[in-house]
Amino acid sequence: MHLIVLLYFITSVNTFGQQPEDACYQCHLEIDQDQDADDRLFKNYLQDIHVQRGFGCADCHGGDPEAFDDEDAAMWDNDSYLGELSPLDEVKMCAKCHSNPTFMSKFSVSVSVDQESQYWSSKHGQELKQGNEKVATCSDCHGVHGILATDNPNSAVYDFNVPKTCSKCHSSKNYMAGLLDKTDQYDDYVNSVHGVALLDKQDVAAPACNDCHGNHGAAPPEIGSIKEICGSCHAQNRDLFQKSHLNKIFKDRGIPQCESCHGNHRILKPSDNYLKWDGGVCVKCHPAGGKPKLLAAELFNILDSLNTQLESANLLVEQAEIKGMEISELYFSLEEAHNALIHSRTAVHSFNKDFLLEAARPGLTASADALAGAQASLNEFDFRRKGLFGASLIFSFLALLLYLKIKQVESSKRKDTKHEK
Amino acid sequence: MSVTSWLQERFDIAAVQKFAAKKQVPVFFGTVWYYLGGVSLFLFILQVLTGILLSLYYQPGAATAYESVKFIVSKVEFGWLMREIHSWSANLFVFFIFLHMFTVFFSKAYRKPRELTWVSGMILLALAMVFGFSGYLLPWNELAYFATKVGTDIAGAVPFIGSFLTQVLRAGDEVSGATLSRFYSIHTAILPLVFIVFLGIHLIMIQVQGMSVPEAQENVPPEKKKTMPFFPNFVVRDLMLWLIMLNVIALLAVFFPWEIGLKADPLTSAPAGIRPEWYFMFMFQTLKLLPAHLWFLEGEVFGILMFGVGGIIWLLVPFLEKPKYTKLWTSVGVGIVLYMIVLTAWGYLV
Repeated sequence: MHLIVLLYFITSVNTFGQQPEDACYQCHLEIDQDQDADDRLFKNYLQDIHVQRGFGCADCHGGDPEAFDDEDAAMWDNDSYLGELSPLDEVKMCAKCHSNPTFMSKFSVSVSVDQESQYWSSKHGQELKQGNEKVATCSDCHGVHGILATDNPNSAVYDFNVPKTCSKCHSSKNYMAGLLDKTDQYDDYVNSVHGVALLDKQDVAAPACNDCHGNHGAAPPEIGSIKEICGSCHAQNRDLFQKSHLNKIFKDRGIPQCESCHGNHRILKPSDNYLKWDGGVCVKCHPAGGKPKLLAAELFNILDSLNTQLESANLLVEQAEIKGMEISELYFSLEEAHNALIHSRTAVHSFNKDFLLEAARPGLTASADALAGAQASLNEFDFRRKGLFGASLIFSFLALLLYLKIKQVESSKRKDTKHEK
Repeated sequence: MSVTSWLQERFDIAAVQKFAAKKQVPVFFGTVWYYLGGVSLFLFILQVLTGILLSLYYQPGAATAYESVKFIVSKVEFGWLMREIHSWSANLFVFFIFLHMFTVFFSKAYRKPRELTWVSGMILLALAMVFGFSGYLLPWNELAYFATKVGTDIAGAVPFIGSFLTQVLRAGDEVSGATLSRFYSIHTAILPLVFIVFLGIHLIMIQVQGMSVPEAQENVPPEKKKTMPFFPNFVVRDLMLWLIMLNVIALLAVFFPWEIGLKADPLTSAPAGIRPEWYFMFMFQTLKLLPAHLWFLEGEVFGILMFGVGGIIWLLVPFLEKPKYTKLWTSVGVGIVLYMIVLTAWGYLV
């Protein structure tokens, strides 16, 4: 009976292919049933991408998969049998296929085959080479016997799951003891603008850990290359900063570029208030004030003028719309002003007042147009109300005249009737 | 030589003057209902005048209709006022025709010899509803587009001729620019022509046969019967009411303007809350509530047949009603009015 239930279970979960004809699998499956559900070796085995493509246990662990009901022949007496792999052997075992372009091209012509070389250049790989077996190897990120394709949303390395996967080790104080002091990266990240975008808003364009640190070649970025990493998405900000007078100073003094103002893992949505002296970011490096303080104030004022004018225009346009006026054209001006504001916030990274003013000018003009248009609409509404009042007066006067006419006609008719009598 | 005598020499207008002077309007508690037809006529005149002005700028076509309506309300001097008056008077027009029809029904004014006056009035009501349906699409906005799609889909459920009817209405398989051109032509050329013919017939019959009075009023002794001359007493009162109506429409136009909404996009999915104009709501809501199948018929087909047969019976009321069943007919009328009010409210509130 148990066998029937077991067979039913296996066949029902294997929705992708046939039950493997594999001696290793069949024996270990029986052993597996004695384990707790979470600890079972073959929990997700049939969904594994390798099993789907026809690979079996012996392809990684060696042994004879055709030696049914003979444990010695299957494992101990077979020269190819490797058993459980050490972390180092595991990397080499995976690389046997994944670093072989001829072999991998059977499955995909666009698949990359440099994972192993990248891995050895990573902090994880370097530590492993030195004998530190606590570092992450392939299976720590991709899983062991239930490895899913990287584009499968359930894969541990799918975009949404990467932060959690990295945090398995990096957020554990005990595990990281003696390796890294910092273990709050995940908590910082989930509260950051990137974390919120990726995890809460499910925006796959938002960066996860690997987008800044690399995948197989994961390593902390060098101070000088931070702007290049941020710049891979925020290209305009990077280019403007590189052309600014601050670039050389940061480089010479070894100050991290973007990170100094925006932070690293807990990058919050930037605010124009960063340019304010009280509570801003400039004061951190320029406590004495002086010219930098003046420049920050000028930059802030330009952004603030545009922002305030845009908000006023939005409010006035909304008022006109509530009154039922046709203001759809004004939305084009508002959109233009909003785009200019975004562009201006980028232009701040030039740290050049004239450049920022040039970027903000179209926005100031467009928001002024929207303001004027909304005001004209409100004036038009006022005109309509007054016009209605005037028209009502005329209509009422005419109605009154008609009423008097009725009275006059009826009274003369009554007189005529009396006269006839 | 006065204008009157100049005309008299040529057209013998004295006969018309004599007719107008002789025409009397009964005065009793229900005299107020006599004004409803006049108000409907005034609203139709407003429709024609504002419609002509709107057509000076309106451009039918999927690429131009919406833009031209926006142009009318934002750039053309007083264009907004013309559109608002046109839209508001269109709704009030249908409302007053309905009101007029029910007052005629409950006062039994359709009885001999006015059977054909009732029939012509019912045709005018049907034409007014088609006016509304065809005009609703013309701004080519999202709501109108999908409401027309639903409306023409319903027409497709008419037995035997449904698909043909939908094809004719849509000028193709889908609601498109071709449908818009067709609706514009129906709305501005075909319907006005047909409407004016039936309106003329309706008015001539009223003038020839005079005003109907309820049975109770007919039994009043002649010396106690009150009347007023049609001209000028009734006509001046009518004019006064028209002015008040114009004032109300102006008020609605300024404080409750009609939105233009978003431009129709056939490629997007229908937004929530698609519904027809209010005067189709009771039928729309009924079709929504009917089960998928009733006996051997589809629910929608059953509903359409029910309204079709109901409409024909209503049209033939003067020929079907027998005096001994007067109370029954009145009760049916009350039931229909209540049904229309409840189902319309249901459609908007639930």
